[in-house]
Amino acid sequence: MPPDPYLQTTGLCRHYRRGPTVVKALDGVTMAVGRGEYLGIVGSSGSGKTTLLNLLAGLDTPTSGSVSLGDVPLTAMSRRELAAYRARCVGMVFQSFNLIAHATALQNVEMALLFNGTPPRERRRRATAILERLGLADRMTHHPADLSGGEQQRVAVARAIVKKPEILFADEPTGNLDFENALEIASLLATLNKEGLAIVLVTHNLEMAQQYTQRTIRMQYGVILQTGLPGNAGAPHP
Amino acid sequence: MTLRDLALIAIGNLWRMKLRALLTISGVLIAITAFVAMLSFGVGNQQNVEREFNKLGLLTTMQVYPRNKPSDSSTSPKLDRLALDRLAQVPGVNLVYPFDAFSVVVTLHDTSISSKAQALPSAAVKTKLYSHLVAGTSFDSTSLHVAIVSEELLKQAGIVSPDSIIGRRIVLSVKVSTIDSALAHLLADRGETMVGRVKRVRIDSLFHRNYRTRVLRAEVSAALRRFLNGFLNAQQVISDTLTVCGVRQAGRVGRAHAEQIIIPVATAARFNSVGVGGSPTELFAAMSNGTLFEDPGDPSGRTFSQATIDFDPKVLYKTVRDSVEAMGFRTFSFAAQFEEIQRFFLYFDVGLAVVGLIALLTASLGIVNTMVMSITERRREIGVLKSLGAYERDIRALFLVESGVIGLLGTLAGIFVGWGISRIVSAVAQAYMRREGIPEMDVFATPAWLVLTALAVGLGVSLLAGYYPAARASRVDPVEALRNDS
Repeated sequence: MPPDPYLQTTGLCRHYRRGPTVVKALDGVTMAVGRGEYLGIVGSSGSGKTTLLNLLAGLDTPTSGSVSLGDVPLTAMSRRELAAYRARCVGMVFQSFNLIAHATALQNVEMALLFNGTPPRERRRRATAILERLGLADRMTHHPADLSGGEQQRVAVARAIVKKPEILFADEPTGNLDFENALEIASLLATLNKEGLAIVLVTHNLEMAQQYTQRTIRMQYGVILQTGLPGNAGAPHP
Repeated sequence: MTLRDLALIAIGNLWRMKLRALLTISGVLIAITAFVAMLSFGVGNQQNVEREFNKLGLLTTMQVYPRNKPSDSSTSPKLDRLALDRLAQVPGVNLVYPFDAFSVVVTLHDTSISSKAQALPSAAVKTKLYSHLVAGTSFDSTSLHVAIVSEELLKQAGIVSPDSIIGRRIVLSVKVSTIDSALAHLLADRGETMVGRVKRVRIDSLFHRNYRTRVLRAEVSAALRRFLNGFLNAQQVISDTLTVCGVRQAGRVGRAHAEQIIIPVATAARFNSVGVGGSPTELFAAMSNGTLFEDPGDPSGRTFSQATIDFDPKVLYKTVRDSVEAMGFRTFSFAAQFEEIQRFFLYFDVGLAVVGLIALLTASLGIVNTMVMSITERRREIGVLKSLGAYERDIRALFLVESGVIGLLGTLAGIFVGWGISRIVSAVAQAYMRREGIPEMDVFATPAWLVLTALAVGLGVSLLAGYYPAARASRVDPVEALRNDS
């Protein structure tokens, strides 16, 4: 456990009912993410990584257990408070970028500031600045379809960090990218972490997790198998 | 997220699906066009009626009648001078004048026409009811030998230009029946004297009962015939030469009856001072009123079948009506009739609005369909927006504004097209009226309140139609939406 946890879960369960069968996507997960930490969550498909991420981001509600933001349990928050938490504290990056197809790169990034009360001019200024910083100054008016995969993911990262969140959840951010672009995005995330942004990286790429993250959690069948430093990700979970 | 943000996003989304949005907007446009055009027709007609009522001052006029079948004579007063004075004391009443009309023969140029004259005080002639003159002026309180004639009378006399008659002289002749002549004929009629009739009676047969009865019946019957003959045929003719000072518009409205010739009260008094008018109607009216044997020269004894009250527009007609009815008279108020007409127009307008609303409801189904399709296509976008921190209310507002924009554009265009159609139809109708010689009127009216109502209804129905899809959109599970596309 990190010394200064930003988010922590206790006995977190997320069960789905599929007809007569109960699918235990998460089953009693207890973990924490520290402030400014770069945490890797690795595991094969169906291990519960994305479910855990969604619960940490306040997009999903647990069946039982709790997620706490400092001393405040997310499970006790209203839907409005959870939306505000996502709007102010959380940035998300997805494997398939999830950019709005009909909006330009600039509009996509500005969209992240729509829901946290940022005035229109400030939205434009901040979105322009972040895109310039990520080397997309000449791509601002381009639609996602006109951008390469790497550029699209950089726009997605820009959208995630433009609101200056406290934590970034990246769900297989390099999954749809070629090696070079994957490396570029991984480096970008590492740089952001060095600047103090807490990152939770969900990946099935153990190598990437070991190389970039400070700590790695390994999951299987909805439970944490092992947790530890990148070099010894194989240490058994307490 | 501000309203400006919502509007920009909504317009952007609609712009991307132009054809679908255009078709949906067209549905609203057609419905609002029908709504506006139909209600404009109803409102236009209502305003025409209202204008006519106001023009003639009918809303401040009330007719007063004595009760037809008095159950108790003490509570059913006569409509005489005394009653008119009492009516004039009712708060809010400006003027009271009786309906005082009589048969006349008017000689105009070389033409004699049987007509009717009406006596009116100068104040009454100046009320809206009688002041619509097509030529000349009305008379004042000092006028005596003047008359206002109607366009109908000129038509009967073959006079085309109303101006040509102003200042010309007409002769009014009135045949007056008197009780004196009737009684004189009772004693002697057609050379047959009382003595002659007595001589015909066989004195010796008077002892027989049957003979007595026959003689008595024959004498009573003959006496009645002689009385009527004396009253109706031995009439006195009173004539006066008057100057035409004005020509009144043709036509009458409801019970605001005006005769073909209007003369000052003082002039009419000279015709009435000798006896009852010569027509059997006037005779029977006098018998019915019980004034047959009264002194015709005494105006205080005259009773009238109808009187007109002109009251202050600031006073409620119901107040005046209640006061008058409390005095034992019947009333007829144009304001009450106007209320009925307004009620009719209200139902008429509601009927038309319902037809328009049905069209609008059909259009609203188009909005629902468009928005539901939009949600299905934009599930991923909704998921992304929620992951970015959009609250359910934001998503709901986004889709509501989209349906609102569809409604607003359709409604604005519909109002404009509806107004345009009403103008075109009105122009065609007016051209037809002009050709047929019917007084022109605008049968359509699109007041500001109608425009605002159409705007509110169009926008309201569109928002209602958008509410279900918007609520559905707000309930989209972001995890599911993002998972489906990942």
